[in-house]
Amino acid sequence: MARAGKFYLGLTTAVIFILLEIAAISLLDRSSTLQNIWINRISHNVMAFNWGSMTKVRNYFGLKEQNEILAGKNFELFKELQHYKELEKAVQAMAKLDSAKLPSRFNYIPAEVTAMGTNSRHNYIILDKGSEHGVKPQSAIITPNGVVGMIYAVDKRYSYGLSLLNDKVSVSARIGREGLVAPLSWDGRGSDHAILKDIPLHLTVGQGDTVRTSGISAVYPPDIPIGVTTGSRLIDGAVNVVDVKLFVDFASLRYVIIAENPDRQIIEQMEE
Amino acid sequence: MKNYRYILLYLLMVIVQILLGNFFPLSRWVLISLLPALLLALPLDTRAILSMLLAFALGFAVDFFSNGMLGLTSLALVPAGLVRGPVIRMVFGDELSSRGDKLSLQRLGAPKMTLALILLCSLFFLVYIWADSAGTVVFWQGALRFALSVLVSVPVCVFVMRLLRP
Repeated sequence: MARAGKFYLGLTTAVIFILLEIAAISLLDRSSTLQNIWINRISHNVMAFNWGSMTKVRNYFGLKEQNEILAGKNFELFKELQHYKELEKAVQAMAKLDSAKLPSRFNYIPAEVTAMGTNSRHNYIILDKGSEHGVKPQSAIITPNGVVGMIYAVDKRYSYGLSLLNDKVSVSARIGREGLVAPLSWDGRGSDHAILKDIPLHLTVGQGDTVRTSGISAVYPPDIPIGVTTGSRLIDGAVNVVDVKLFVDFASLRYVIIAENPDRQIIEQMEE
Repeated sequence: MKNYRYILLYLLMVIVQILLGNFFPLSRWVLISLLPALLLALPLDTRAILSMLLAFALGFAVDFFSNGMLGLTSLALVPAGLVRGPVIRMVFGDELSSRGDKLSLQRLGAPKMTLALILLCSLFFLVYIWADSAGTVVFWQGALRFALSVLVSVPVCVFVMRLLRP
């Protein structure tokens, strides 16, 4: 209560002070030309400052509408830009496909990744090309930089594949161009690592050797780079495994190539 | 009886201020004003509102009866009236008003009284000279006029405080 009383007393004092000063200025304004000019100049400056501030505030709030229009235009431009970027990447992917000199016995279909999982042991990949584009199950999913996975099931417009980051997928791989052939699979330790298994104990594998698809498969075209060896280790004293750092960056994967072997069924029948 | 003496002396000092303004202009560089002392000499329990109203009235009277610009002294004296209370508390302490004591030069001592008057005179002359020059004089001229006015007026005000005992 006392505090409120003090507050009101202070407020009254301030108001009376301002009123008395205004009264004194008014008197002074009327009593001298020099002071009149001076006071007018000060009041004009104060008014100009106030108007300037008010205009700034008004413009600031008026900018909201302009901002919304600009944001809309910005979004339209962004969409347009994305469209052109995608077109450019697709053209580049096609150009790479042409220049990759992939084995001609395979049919190649460029595709875009629609969805992909990388967080479980059974990771999948969904592509935007299906049976109406000529995609068949058991086709390889590759990029010019490496193996991505394998088509598992095909819809009319989409296809479902098993990613290389799936412990059910195994790729026949070769160390170097003429080296040892061994199955490569994902060990689940990271999205950029795989292992080559069943390496004989007496063989030593150096670091930095490129691992490619062996071609001893009806699914994967030969000599597609997969990764590079980073070392070997003995498991349970019986098996030697080689660690491979994969070339494909699954986190940024967007465009792939589906490689379909038209003779796959014949080869499989002969194998049976 | 004592109050009558105080009121008469107070009015006399107002007349002296008017006469000083009319007949004894020392120089354009020096202003003499007793008004800060007249404000300080008000009874201790005078509230800020009353002291501001009195300051306005005093300024108006002095300007009206002398050749000054009407409103100029009021403009400068009202702020002094506003800060009178805080200046007294700052210089003399809070106990002075709680004891119901009086502002007496003899009891409180000349140094403290001089300090209080310097503060009030400074504020008064700052506003007065600023408004009087109306932006037509350069800074150092205004500063010199301010310094000289404070230097001359403070001793005069101390003398007035010695005479006035509410």
